[in-house]
Amino acid sequence: MNDETVVEARDLVVRYGDFTAVDRVTFTVGRGEIFGFLGANGAGKTTTIRVLCGVLPPTEGRVRVAGTGYEDGENAIKAKVGYMSQKFTLYNDLTVKENLDFIASLRKLDAAYYAKRRQEILELISFKKGLGAFVHELSGGTKQQVSLAAALLHDPEVVFLDEPTAGVTPAGRERFWALIRRVAESGKTVFVTTHYMDEAEQCGRIALMREGKLVAMDSPAGLKAAAFPEQVFEFEPIEELSFSRMTAFQNHEAFAFFEPYGHRFHAAAANAEAWRHWRPELEKTFRIRTIAPSLEDVFIRMVEDRP
Amino acid sequence: MNKTLLGFIKKELIQALRDPRMKYILFAAPIVEMTLFGVAISNEVKNIRLAAFFGANDYLVRDIYEHAIGGGWFIPARASGETAQDPFELVRSGDADAVLVPPEGGFTRALGRGDAQLQILVNATNVTQAQSVESYMKAIVAQTLADDLGLTPRPPPIKFDVRVLFNPSLDTAIFMVPGVMTMLMVLTTLILANIGIVREKEMGTFEMLISAPVSKSEVIFGKTLPYVLIGMTNLPLLLAIAMLVFHVPLRGSILALIAATVAFVCTTVAMGTLISTYCQNQQQASMASFLFMFPAIMFSGLIFPIENMPAAVQWLSFIDPLAHYLSLLRNIMLKGGGLQASAWHIGVLLILAAVSAAASFRRFRTTLS
Repeated sequence: MNDETVVEARDLVVRYGDFTAVDRVTFTVGRGEIFGFLGANGAGKTTTIRVLCGVLPPTEGRVRVAGTGYEDGENAIKAKVGYMSQKFTLYNDLTVKENLDFIASLRKLDAAYYAKRRQEILELISFKKGLGAFVHELSGGTKQQVSLAAALLHDPEVVFLDEPTAGVTPAGRERFWALIRRVAESGKTVFVTTHYMDEAEQCGRIALMREGKLVAMDSPAGLKAAAFPEQVFEFEPIEELSFSRMTAFQNHEAFAFFEPYGHRFHAAAANAEAWRHWRPELEKTFRIRTIAPSLEDVFIRMVEDRP
Repeated sequence: MNKTLLGFIKKELIQALRDPRMKYILFAAPIVEMTLFGVAISNEVKNIRLAAFFGANDYLVRDIYEHAIGGGWFIPARASGETAQDPFELVRSGDADAVLVPPEGGFTRALGRGDAQLQILVNATNVTQAQSVESYMKAIVAQTLADDLGLTPRPPPIKFDVRVLFNPSLDTAIFMVPGVMTMLMVLTTLILANIGIVREKEMGTFEMLISAPVSKSEVIFGKTLPYVLIGMTNLPLLLAIAMLVFHVPLRGSILALIAATVAFVCTTVAMGTLISTYCQNQQQASMASFLFMFPAIMFSGLIFPIENMPAAVQWLSFIDPLAHYLSLLRNIMLKGGGLQASAWHIGVLLILAAVSAAASFRRFRTTLS
């Protein structure tokens, strides 16, 4: 991470009537960073992104994005950032060129600059189809790449991507993330929300949100270390477990954490003494291996398991 | 011209003109509807099913009946003459719209006695039709009595010299076609402007629009100007049908007609934009458009004369753009009005457009809330 702060939110609050969608959130993001925003649906991720993009003025608090803020005018932030919203934001009934032309007109780009920039970003996303292709003819992954290209057309310092790979195939997601890395390498800050933990692993830092509050923020490794100071184990049942037995293990005094992970379980011991006492008994039912915790374990423990 | 505005106009026109269904809705549907409505919508009451009860010697009733059928307004009901049964039953069952019922012993004999009363039973579930039947029958009876018996009513002391102006043949189409033009113009412009904006909200593209550093006026004018242009293209199409198919004259100034249409289209597009600020999806937008258009047509004077409405309701006609455009079309096309004669209505339309645009501007946001 570069030391230069490009995105800053301080005591950010967004209320819709009586409902507080974002509750005193504070964080900073540096230049060239890939910053991940994780949380369950309704946690306040999209609301935060909308504030940072300049489309939703905050109820309280202060934001500075690319050196500007709401106090500098309604369009000050919008001019400096690129935004790819959760909903698909290109027109299906227009061609790729017509879509980009329209976005260039919204950004009031000079014709020569636009032509040059369009060439650059289409090369960046390795767009093979012709500019005359209709958007509705493109695959889900390619559509998202073109959406990203559209968000980058005016060469913004920061680009906000709200669940950009939702509904995209695994191969398409991989290609999209390769693109995100390339964008970040070019010095742009990428602020991304996702529900996919494998994608979150690729972020430099991750912020976890729950019910409008920021519950943790660190690198993936840092989050794992913070969430699981104790050893984490993988439990593979020797024989198939009934639902009642599985529930019994989840409430077993030996565990501080016991969650299904496919056909296996990820677990952390409640304490060393209980672990020593119960391990021989547990080994009659499970094959036990020591593992590093996954981000999914972190998410479950820090976001979903908290009362 | 502003780059963003140009971009909007280009994009909206491409989207509107690329879709074959949209092209049909914009251009073919008004032509088809104008032709159909022009032919079908008429104040004249025709094809009234008439039955009559008369005996073999009651030649006067038979003559009245035959005159009526021969006149073109009436057609024979399913049962009539001696085969007819209960006259009330004929109307109740829907077999006849009107029935001539002579007095006991026949109308001809009663007239000879000097106490003749000819009863006409009329189905008044349709008041307009009932009133027409009454006046038609009075005229036919008077004519028949004059022809058969030489009985003429006493001439009135005053003789009117009636000169029918602007529509001497009293052709319904000439009166109705400007109304149909008004309805079709509002249908295209109001609904399209409204749905055009709401669709962006529903599809999620609106968030992309407002994430760019655009001003309110760029978005509002960008989204509405193309519909003003599209609305204006309907004028020559509808005018051509009015003149060539229905022979409606264009006696006034074409410049006044264009000015009136620009003012009207701007008003309806501005009102459509205002409605769109209250709607979140296309379903709401369609419903809201129809909820606006239904009273707008009713209070326009197209169907019922504005003068007949209670004073408390007449002010609704004053803020109804259809009422003003209808007056303008009739004034310009039928009475030969020019720009000066149209200035009042055009002025009111422009004020309505400005008020609607200002309200839309006030409600429109380039941020979310």
